[in-house]
Amino acid sequence: MNKTGLKWTTLGASALLAAGCATAPDEATTRVMAERMVKESFKASPAHAKRLVQDKSQRICSKIGDAKLTQAEAAEVVRLARASVKYPASGKLVGDWKRGDKLAHNGAGDRIVRGKLEKRKENGGLCQNCHGLAPGEINVGNVGPLLAGWGVQRGNSEAIAKYTYEKIYNAWLYFPCSNMPRLGATGHLTPDQITHLVAYLIDPASPINRR
Amino acid sequence: MVFFVIFWRAILPKEFGGTKSDKLLEERNMVNVRGGLAAIAFLCLSGSAWAQAGGDLSVGRKMLLEDNPGELWIDKGKALFHAKRGPRKASLEKCDFGMGPGKLEGAAAKLPRYFADVDKVQDLESRLLTCMVELQGFKREDMIKKAISPGGSSGSDMEALALYITSRSNGMKVDVTLSHQKEYDMYKAGEYLFFRRAGQTDFGCVQCHGEADKRIRLQDLLHMTDKAGAQEVASTWPAYRGAHYVVRTMQWRLYDCFWQMRLPDLAYGSDVSIALTTFLNYRGNGAVINVPGFKR
Repeated sequence: MNKTGLKWTTLGASALLAAGCATAPDEATTRVMAERMVKESFKASPAHAKRLVQDKSQRICSKIGDAKLTQAEAAEVVRLARASVKYPASGKLVGDWKRGDKLAHNGAGDRIVRGKLEKRKENGGLCQNCHGLAPGEINVGNVGPLLAGWGVQRGNSEAIAKYTYEKIYNAWLYFPCSNMPRLGATGHLTPDQITHLVAYLIDPASPINRR
Repeated sequence: MVFFVIFWRAILPKEFGGTKSDKLLEERNMVNVRGGLAAIAFLCLSGSAWAQAGGDLSVGRKMLLEDNPGELWIDKGKALFHAKRGPRKASLEKCDFGMGPGKLEGAAAKLPRYFADVDKVQDLESRLLTCMVELQGFKREDMIKKAISPGGSSGSDMEALALYITSRSNGMKVDVTLSHQKEYDMYKAGEYLFFRRAGQTDFGCVQCHGEADKRIRLQDLLHMTDKAGAQEVASTWPAYRGAHYVVRTMQWRLYDCFWQMRLPDLAYGSDVSIALTTFLNYRGNGAVINVPGFKR
């Protein structure tokens, strides 16, 4: 039975080849083709076109299908992430939770419509798009984990403040290639803005830590 | 009803997170101008989404499917298809969508596909563009500029035509083949692009569309690496978009995703758009086409 199946498969494959059927282009060819498409498919000023160019971490993190990161790749992403983190000039990692609350619920900033950059005082933190926030909030996404009780579970020690800051600044430092944007490292948020988000997550008075 | 209108107005900025400034301004204005049926119909959906806190939105969608305002665009598209238009005063009756000139039955089900006359793989909208330029003498740039209509408007010619032509495949199964090498190349490029992360959000398509039962705020996200999710993509565009009061096409859907990802404007009919559509539609093979779809 197996043998017959194999025979037919071989016959079928040769028939396909003989008929000149299309075959899958190899990985390198596909990359060249698709990258050329990226260069030609967007209408953008040179400054905006830069956004389309991948950095090394993004290239590593664009695995196709179920392909897994190798250990060496993961280590490289972590190394790059470590090198990317900048701390606020003040050295203070915990800002104002009220400003953080507003930022967490702001999904706007830096989008491009017909070549023009969205006009905003500051970029939003985008948190609400993907994370459940304070207990009972309904209009929240679930692509990322629920953040309610972040500080209740972890406390608000200096170590936790630093971990939280770095996690927002470059999530790939702790979870290489996770879905979360590297909000500080890509320049979407400033170090100061991130300190406010840290406060929102760890301050016992913040709604996110309401029981 | 007054209560509902107030409710609707109150909920709108939240639904959009107070975003899309320039782009949605016109759309917001239309919301104020139009108090009409569509707004009331759309309420059912918003209301149920609110009440169910991101639960199953299918009940509201089903209600709307039974009386989809997008149906109105089909007749408009049919009239446009047969009308003699453009500098050459020609209709689109000689346009070949892959089944022969003017043959529309089942044509959309097999798109995107390779067209020898342009030596390229084209989706429905880029094919339409070719015909409007070659047969009717329209200027390509003019057609592209008007292809995606402002929200709340009566829609673009392209949107109506795309819907009419796709509706002629209603009830038929999506059947994209990769028999030409350029089709296969397009599919593989689309797959690569689906997973390609870029920009300040580090997003590729898969970051939002790679898992089941995910939402951005209350908006359900299709699980496109799953067969059923890809099938929904492949069989429901063009669709009536409740929040915009117009029919939207796949080209618009992709443009809007890249906008939200903070990437530059995706060019209408570009290869990136065709590659992604080829990838998704091929994965969606077997789905029964039913347009206009209905989207929030």
